[in-house]
Amino acid sequence: MATIEAAGLTRRFGELVAVDDLDLAVDHEVFGLLGPNGSGKTTTVLMLTTLLRPTSGTASVSGCDVVREAARVRERISYVPQDMAVDIKLSGRENVSFFAALYGVPGRDRVDEVLAIMDLAERADDLAGTYSGGMRRRLELAQALVHEPEALFLDEPTIGLDVAGRQAIWAHITELRRRGMTVFVTTHYMDEADHACDRVGVIAKGRLVAVDAPAVLRRQLGGERISLRVDLPATPVTVEGARLVRREDDELIYHADDAAETVPALLAGFAAAGVRVRGLEVAAPTLDDVFLALAGRQDEGGSFDYRRFRNLMRRR
Amino acid sequence: MNAVLVYFARDMRRWIRGRFNVWSALIMPAAWLIFVGLALPTRFTDSYLDFIAPGILVLTMLSAGMQGGSSLIFDKILGFLNKFLALPSPREAILYGKILFTTVRGLLQASVIMLLAVLLGATIFTPSLVAFTYLVLFVFGALLSAFSTSLALFVQDHDGYAAVNALLSMPLFFTSSALMPYDVMPPWLAAIARYNPVSWAIDLIRSFAAPPVPWTSLLALVLLALAMGAVSSLLFRRVTV
Ligand SMILES: Nc1ncnc2c1ncn2[C@@H]1O[C@H](COP(=O)(O)OP(=O)(O)OP(=O)(O)O)[C@@H](O)[C@H]1O
Ligand SMILES: [Mg+2]
Repeated sequence: MATIEAAGLTRRFGELVAVDDLDLAVDHEVFGLLGPNGSGKTTTVLMLTTLLRPTSGTASVSGCDVVREAARVRERISYVPQDMAVDIKLSGRENVSFFAALYGVPGRDRVDEVLAIMDLAERADDLAGTYSGGMRRRLELAQALVHEPEALFLDEPTIGLDVAGRQAIWAHITELRRRGMTVFVTTHYMDEADHACDRVGVIAKGRLVAVDAPAVLRRQLGGERISLRVDLPATPVTVEGARLVRREDDELIYHADDAAETVPALLAGFAAAGVRVRGLEVAAPTLDDVFLALAGRQDEGGSFDYRRFRNLMRRR
Repeated sequence: MNAVLVYFARDMRRWIRGRFNVWSALIMPAAWLIFVGLALPTRFTDSYLDFIAPGILVLTMLSAGMQGGSSLIFDKILGFLNKFLALPSPREAILYGKILFTTVRGLLQASVIMLLAVLLGATIFTPSLVAFTYLVLFVFGALLSAFSTSLALFVQDHDGYAAVNALLSMPLFFTSSALMPYDVMPPWLAAIARYNPVSWAIDLIRSFAAPPVPWTSLLALVLLALAMGAVSSLLFRRVTV
């Protein structure tokens, strides 16, 4: 039995189906749940951490049901919510000792240990109010780790942190996984998920639309990404074999099955339209591209079309 | 029980370190003692300060008790509550810790007000009355903090809570026997005041200085506090999960 399991997990808020029939098994890995705002990531985590009752379906952690054996689930997990909540009028050490006491972890040794692991030993006796955002996040991780959980749930652990701060958090997460912990993490940052997660799940409008290793998803999307910088104003040209997937100011991103064939056609097309192309880059698709192909349509207002996605995946 | 004390200790630490908050809550009851207790010319008593002091102590407890809900709201809004609810320690400990903290904080504030009353010249506070006052205030405080934390479970934001608090606290105080005895009240006010638990607490403290003590009022307060505590934990259990 996997550490975290969900079967048909569903949560409604009135008419809205926030999480829709989710099936999942996560075991001794870093699992990243990716999805746009409002796609149901937090709702999923809340159900798995016994903070929200599923409307239907079941979920378990280490074999304990999140509804019927909620107290036993809570003995086995740690949860760090999306909004940073540390007591700013308590010192770092007091913040951790407080959680240690509630977890029933005796003595000061373990508290000192986790503070040291999270590189907070030197500032442990300063008030948490004087900590930077990155340090507060690490303090929350220290609180969560003080009782050595079997499964760790992190909701957007790197949001609002600078690059170094994010790297530090992911390094800690990777280290935890190496020591056998199951880590369930939600995030918006695709490049981070690509590097740090063993597997990712993409959720859109409450439905899990893909679950696999980032590399596999990238390969499944296939083809190549062609990024062109053009002088504005420019109307994107359409060429056989290339799809415009994204446009950011003067950057046009196409997805093509065969770049060698389509790049000359694209360049010729822009030349014919009188648009100067200033830069060209061809690369393998990133997890961003996968994500946009899977979940991007949500922002366009239309409903996510799973069949269209499958076709897109199969086109290779 | 241990978890209750852990939550209690957290709140105490945070409260004491917020130096301004510790003193600002005392300003209103102190102003009542000084500007009303010393200054108001009254005919029904020789020492209005002695008359009003029990009322102001109960007022201190009333506003302290209602602040308990505010503290829980902040824990809810800032995400602390969700963190605590995911912990293996019994969830009700969060609630009981909050009630205990709110009550103890109120008792500490009332102690300062009592000291101030004595310094201003109040003569009623004999050692045995002080002990009895603490007993009454403890029961009354537990009742109020159980009530205010229950309220906090249903209000979504702090402004909403502050509005409900204002809507309840002042009328409860003014329709009590805090400022005048029943026989000088207009009959309609006296009728309301007799059924106001705020009056029961005040009358208990006053009666101890001038017996007989209406023990049934104390019993009523204790029962009310226990009932409110039960309702509060029931609601808490219902709302969380
Ligand atoms: N308590 C609630 N009552 C009503 N609707 C809710 C509630 N909680 C969440 N929702 C709705 O459920 C949907 C999913 O919300 P959720 O918070 O799970 O999204 P998310 O993926 O975590 O988003 P974000 O990336 O912004 O954190 C949203 O449409 C949200 O408005
Ligand atoms: Mg979220």
